[in-house]
Amino acid sequence: MRASYLTRRRLLATVVALLAALLVSIAATSLVGPVHASLRRALGPGGPSTPDYVIIVRTRLPRVLLGAVVGGSLSAAGAALQALLQNPLAEPHLLGVSSGAAVAGMVALIAGADPVSPLVPAAAFAGALGTMALVYLAARAHGRTTPHAILLVGVVCNAIAAAAIMLVNAIASYAQARGVLFWIMGALSTQSYALVALVAVYALAGLGWLVAHAQSLNLFAAGDEGAQQLGVDVEGARRSVFVAASLLVAAAVSVSGMIGFVGLIVPHLLRLVLGPDQRLLLPASFLGGAVFLVWADAAARTALGPAELPVGVVTALVGGPFFVFLLRRRLARTLP
Amino acid sequence: MRAACATLLVLATVGCAPVPSGAGGGPPARVVSLAPSLTEIVWALGAGERLVGVCAQCDYPPAVAALPRVGGYLAPSVEAVIGVRPDLVVVVPSPGNREAVRALERVGVRVLVVHDRTLDDLRASVRALAGALGLTAAGERLVADVDHGLAAVHARVAGLPARRVLLVVGHSPLVVAGAGTLQDELLTIAGGTNVAADAGQAWPQVAPELVVARAPEVIVDAAMGTEAGGHDLFAGLTTVPAVRDGRVVALRGDALFRAGPRVVEAAEALVRAIHPEAGG
Repeated sequence: MRASYLTRRRLLATVVALLAALLVSIAATSLVGPVHASLRRALGPGGPSTPDYVIIVRTRLPRVLLGAVVGGSLSAAGAALQALLQNPLAEPHLLGVSSGAAVAGMVALIAGADPVSPLVPAAAFAGALGTMALVYLAARAHGRTTPHAILLVGVVCNAIAAAAIMLVNAIASYAQARGVLFWIMGALSTQSYALVALVAVYALAGLGWLVAHAQSLNLFAAGDEGAQQLGVDVEGARRSVFVAASLLVAAAVSVSGMIGFVGLIVPHLLRLVLGPDQRLLLPASFLGGAVFLVWADAAARTALGPAELPVGVVTALVGGPFFVFLLRRRLARTLP
Repeated sequence: MRAACATLLVLATVGCAPVPSGAGGGPPARVVSLAPSLTEIVWALGAGERLVGVCAQCDYPPAVAALPRVGGYLAPSVEAVIGVRPDLVVVVPSPGNREAVRALERVGVRVLVVHDRTLDDLRASVRALAGALGLTAAGERLVADVDHGLAAVHARVAGLPARRVLLVVGHSPLVVAGAGTLQDELLTIAGGTNVAADAGQAWPQVAPELVVARAPEVIVDAAMGTEAGGHDLFAGLTTVPAVRDGRVVALRGDALFRAGPRVVEAAEALVRAIHPEAGG
């Protein structure tokens, strides 16, 4: 199998190619939107006072960059979790971390915070961290965790959070329920480069942490005992990866709501193409997820004309069938 | 097992039998309202004392606070409704309450379903409720009051040029009022032109860049939350006339979102936001 052997050269070539694709995507999608804006007018004489400048530089570019960071974070977290939990269905929102963020964000909204104030993402982030600690502690016995326990506790946390959201919607006032509903739907929307930079630094640190554990993640495929025999500190590595992935998800969800599917299909897609080695798959998933979400969001803001689609609709509608198509091709080749 | 369940169901239904389903043929005396707009209409018709239950979101007039709550606007409790023994339940159709409405009808409770999306809906629902309550004359008076009130509001802006308006209902994502909504109608009456009327949806989610392109002269921010939030959201859009001229106006309260008698108040508030020079 050509894809399974990783050389430094292949790693570098793949990362550079994906990075180039990401830069091209960012530049291209910054020119796409529901209204036409001319880059020439924006950068021409008197640029900053033109609507074109306000559209491209103040509203579109920060949003595109945020999409790249969020897509990368969700996708890298998904790749790591699939290896950590040895479960192909693992995805970032499965751990309960996102729903913890959603509940805390909702509480902040009900308490009167505005969805665009920094209070809501801060609350969401705190909620995500709290849930992460809760899931980890609940899934632990005698100083050990198992992938099954983490998955189950995460799923239960999701169910509890979903119920809490419905509960609050049932008792909140009409206007509050409306606000919460819109917020939970999720969207990439920011005009703040500072926020993008903050999330980006955070995401890259999380990615670095994951990549540092890539070799351990590879060895998890041999099972807990196998990995132990191969010299992996199974519990330590599991805790590290769980925390790093959760932090990535927490940052992404607190600024964008629950965008689904990116963390599931992009890692799988890249695994089909590049092979399962996490040393390559993790950075590739980050860059691939960034490219995917940047384009999905470009489609979301142009598909319906003046009105936008929730970006999650696009990621699932476009990503799902494409993924099944790739899987079918792979099956046709590998099964006799 | 199934037989046992059926028996239980029958028993349960029989147990609730003493529901006076309009017995005697007189107008209903025990009314449950399952929507904030309908509660306001029943009250404005002078039948407030006949209300024996309201939805959790019904909060106007303040006197309804003392009434029993029979579940949420979107998910009423069948048991709680039956428990206050109504002879009329008034409700707005929604996917969440369809089953509850069917269950109420099955046990013989009279249910009146009316719409509350537009001003025409408001007129029709006032007349329907008034008819059902035996208050036809009061219904016609209320419709005339609302129409006169709206006409008076419109008269104040009659000589003024219509301003381009964006009506914001959600901040993140940015959601605005489109065509075909009560809010679009009220905005037009208040001397505005909805810049999102062509978005093809009642509540379109739009990109901030659309706000830049449509360049509204007034942004009415009716989203929940603080005024500071709205300012953060639009402050960078410096080429938009509303931002440049300081006409981003926060509008609070639920009157704008209810097809009830307070639409006149809502229209007045919109005039203050869109045409402050019209006075009042």
